[in-house]
Amino acid sequence: MLASYNWLVELTGVTASPREVADKLTGGGLEVEAFETRGEGLDSVVIAEVRSKTKVPDKDKLSHVVVFDGEGEVDVICGAANVPDPGRRVLFARVGSVLPNGMEIGERKLGGVLSRGMICSEVELEIGTGAEGIFVVPADIEAAPGTPIADALGLRDTIFELGLTPNRPDGLGHIGLARDVAVHFGQTFTPPAPPEPARRGDGELGVSIEVADADRCPRYGAGLVRGVTLGPSPFWLRYRLHCLGLRAIHNVVDATNYVLLEHGHPTHAFDQASVRKRAIVVRLATDGEKMTTLDEVERTLTADDLLICDGEGPVAVAGVMGGANSEIGDATSDVLVECAYFAPRSVRRTGRRLGLHTDASHRFERGVDPNGVPRVLARTTQLIADLAGGAVIGAGVDENAQPIAPPVIDFRLDRCDALLGFETAPAEAVRIFEGLGFSVEKTGERTFRVTVPTFRPDISREVDLTEEVLRFRGFPLVPTTIPHVRPSADGTPLEVRFDRLTRGIAAIAGLYEAVNYAFVSRPELAAARAPEASVILENPLSEDRSVMRTSLLPGLAAAAGRALRRQVQRVTLFEVGNTFTATDGDLPREDQSLAFILAGPREAWIGDGEAFDFYDGKGFIEAIVGPLCLSAPVFSIDDELSEKAPWFHPRRRAAVAVQIDGEHIALGSLGELHPEVAEALDLDTRAIYAELSVPALFRARQAVGDPQASALPRFPAVNRDIAMELDEEHSAGVVADAIRYAAGDLVEQVRLFDLYRGEQVAAGKKSLAFRVTYRDPAATLTDKKVDKAHARAAKAMKAQFAATVR
Amino acid sequence: MTDTDAVTRFEAGLADVREAFGSAFGEAADEQSLRAANAKLTGPEGTLTKLMKLMREVPGDRRREFGQAANALKEEVAAAFDGALVALAQAEREAELAAPHIDVSLPGRRPKPGRLHPITRVTIELVDIFTALGFDVAHGPEIDLYEYNFDKLGFPPDHPATDMQDSFFVKSDGARSMLRTHTSTIQVREMLKRKPPLAIVAPGAVYRRDDDITHSPMFFQIEGLLVDEKVSFADLKGVLTRFAQRLFGPDVGVRGRPSYFPFVEPGAEIDISCVFCKPWEGDAARTAACRVCKGTGWLEILGCGMVHPVVFESVGYDPEKYTGFAFGLGIDRIAMLKYGISDIRMLYENDARFLEQIG
Repeated sequence: MLASYNWLVELTGVTASPREVADKLTGGGLEVEAFETRGEGLDSVVIAEVRSKTKVPDKDKLSHVVVFDGEGEVDVICGAANVPDPGRRVLFARVGSVLPNGMEIGERKLGGVLSRGMICSEVELEIGTGAEGIFVVPADIEAAPGTPIADALGLRDTIFELGLTPNRPDGLGHIGLARDVAVHFGQTFTPPAPPEPARRGDGELGVSIEVADADRCPRYGAGLVRGVTLGPSPFWLRYRLHCLGLRAIHNVVDATNYVLLEHGHPTHAFDQASVRKRAIVVRLATDGEKMTTLDEVERTLTADDLLICDGEGPVAVAGVMGGANSEIGDATSDVLVECAYFAPRSVRRTGRRLGLHTDASHRFERGVDPNGVPRVLARTTQLIADLAGGAVIGAGVDENAQPIAPPVIDFRLDRCDALLGFETAPAEAVRIFEGLGFSVEKTGERTFRVTVPTFRPDISREVDLTEEVLRFRGFPLVPTTIPHVRPSADGTPLEVRFDRLTRGIAAIAGLYEAVNYAFVSRPELAAARAPEASVILENPLSEDRSVMRTSLLPGLAAAAGRALRRQVQRVTLFEVGNTFTATDGDLPREDQSLAFILAGPREAWIGDGEAFDFYDGKGFIEAIVGPLCLSAPVFSIDDELSEKAPWFHPRRRAAVAVQIDGEHIALGSLGELHPEVAEALDLDTRAIYAELSVPALFRARQAVGDPQASALPRFPAVNRDIAMELDEEHSAGVVADAIRYAAGDLVEQVRLFDLYRGEQVAAGKKSLAFRVTYRDPAATLTDKKVDKAHARAAKAMKAQFAATVR
Repeated sequence: MTDTDAVTRFEAGLADVREAFGSAFGEAADEQSLRAANAKLTGPEGTLTKLMKLMREVPGDRRREFGQAANALKEEVAAAFDGALVALAQAEREAELAAPHIDVSLPGRRPKPGRLHPITRVTIELVDIFTALGFDVAHGPEIDLYEYNFDKLGFPPDHPATDMQDSFFVKSDGARSMLRTHTSTIQVREMLKRKPPLAIVAPGAVYRRDDDITHSPMFFQIEGLLVDEKVSFADLKGVLTRFAQRLFGPDVGVRGRPSYFPFVEPGAEIDISCVFCKPWEGDAARTAACRVCKGTGWLEILGCGMVHPVVFESVGYDPEKYTGFAFGLGIDRIAMLKYGISDIRMLYENDARFLEQIG
């Protein structure tokens, strides 16, 4: 909403500066987001009188004009076709003027004459949209040659750009704004009563009005102005509309627009002669009914859309846009003016459905004043008659089928004080309320009964009046206190704290946290071989983000691919986020996962290490799950992963779980991405991916409980190595377990310290070397005992794995 | 083989060893070759070991004499070996201490930690500020009922107030559901679940249909709610002032102006002093030129207000008995201000080089 400072001053008599007015409006919740001064910088553009004009020989389009600019006669060459006769006045930019578009006026030789200045049009001066030629000053504007045009035409103004909240439809008109301004500056505001029109005619509307849906159209007024002559509006009005962002059209439409900006209440002017069968009916459309709106678009309507119809069919979509068929045209003589109150919800639904947002619908959907209908109608018809001639026909129509009464609210000042934290004197509260046009009845020392007029639909309960007190007394008055927050028995759920711990440990382990959009595309999910999306957006911004993710892989893979393409060498990203699955209930299931992706070479001391592989992923999981769950993860080959996690390489993946007191808690899975999946996800390198369930991690941590301390060993340990060559098929973990089992209770730890494949061993074989740590918790070990245990282990290797022990 | 042979060979052997071991040990340049030299003498196949085995063939009357001689030699060899070992270690240490300096400019080896996302960092900071004041932390679902996102918060049906939060809806045959447009849904859920007094902050992802340099269709908010008897607007102002000063420093000022959010009344928007041009330092020219606050010296950072009675009614709290305040602020916005991030999309590209700057 644009608002004119001059207009507000005219309405209130306030003398404060534009800056002061803007600050007060903002402080009161009608935020002035920007303001712009008008009529500045045009000081050397003045009124000048035409003294003579002659055609420039051989240049048909150019005139040689001599103007008197108050100081002397000046020669100007002008290309406009409408240079007026001597004696008339024009707008003259002297040499040295700078026009708003940045053009500087200099001396120029044209057609053999030295042209010293420029005669300007509205557009060149940005004071209007008239581009048909130069601006000829109307006779009724009194201004001597030499008067700066800013003074002569009243151009100086400040335009406020207001960011209004949708609860304040009254602020969409200058009268509503003026009410606030007046209270801020302690002025008494009386809205202007429409003066009697210059000519009042007798007779009837000549059209019958029927409101068939009073719920949607509680009030409908109509008036008639007979015998208008269409033409341009006076400059001051055109200029005001121009400054406030509306285009001047002709006097009738300009009048309705002016009233729109004045009262914030849209009206609609029809050509009365085009109303077929002399009848207006306000009714709902039928499903599929069609009409063409003013913008020449054929609209298909539904039974939820309110229409203004004549005896034959629709002429306007109520409160949204008129129809092409009833538009005012040059031939119009009698203007039928509609001023109504339409139910806001109805207008909003229709506007949304048709994708139409107009000055009218913007106001109707926020709620205009139903009880302002008679006043606004009278003002509009009077203004049309004033501008376009014609007579206002006395007997208008005011169908008030469903009167809307102003709310009456009991107000307790004590409660207001308690809520705001500062005190307000009763007289001050009354001043604010009455200043805003509310009527106040005292019901006690500090209690009132307040009747709030219907132009403030945002006020319906006591607390709304409290806000009015705050608006005008001001936020700076509010003291600052720190409340004593009473502890709640529920506290913060442990899961919430666990969330932070999870992210922190993942970061400490060496992963970078990513945050990806939760919406993805179906093809992305398909590329990741993730479950098909079951939570679908009804109105996505684009197909790329049209379904809720079922896996964190697409987001992380996209981030990894992007990074690698940008020559980031190494990707180690993790994300904690939700995946979504539809359920039978009202809401989808949201599962929180911790996922990570590794791509590129692993960190080496100098230079790069080899590409990340499965064991890097395993290492990260050990580094995360260990401290997070206080439990070591176990990794197993799980054939079900072919089905459950088809995005993994079938030979390089594992299920991840923890075993706690015999309870097996599955955490998720880890693996190298299937080469086809990596390709489909645009990763041109192998990548390691893991996805763990955060609730499962939490459950594991809960199951572990408090870890229990045990005494540190007092007796020394003995290390013995065992190296062997055996078939590839035996996993190191199984071999280690066999050593542990065979060697018996003295074994404290079995650790793989060498793995070799290559020339020194036969094909299909590998060499493993383990260091076995023996310890007796109760005594110092003897070599003999250790030798015996170690010999059992060696024997078991030969027996179970056909290993050659070296 | 005769006894005499054995005696001769034994004597010759002893003489050879006696002659050779000193130089063999002396010539060894490192521990490995020293040990090898020692093994040649005293190892299982060593000369001295073999000589000892010859003892059985020596005639009985000479055995004692020869035994003593051999053992004496063995001890001599062992002592020489130990001496040589010590000498070698000593030489090695001296060499190391005299060697050229290592190249200290080579990179350090370290466990390389990762980074938290700026959103997480800010969330942690914000949550800690409020938990220190006694607030609990709550979470809620990202997809929620229309009823919780709008109706229960007092949004009138078909009201343009919902335009302020252009929503993503989820296709559903059941109740109308949507991606939450604000974390205020958690207010509703917590109030339905708990009885006052109640003090929570609730961070999380929210979604709106906007996408440009300052708007991301997914972003993060943190919601605050305090409900108790006699909570006032002054308490709200106090808590927010404390919050702003904790987050941005003690000089930061707070101002507000009434605004409209359907679930609060009175509602307000809060500005803090611009943290870029720092107007409290009194450099007016710097503020005038500041592009972040556009020369105003103020930054809008959050919306807040006193909980609307209609919300209390919708969750079954008595609005005559309880009052409360609520606020909501954009975590992305705070992160952008704190870390000087000019384009919100950087937050969602997850480029390690960016994460490294901030995390």
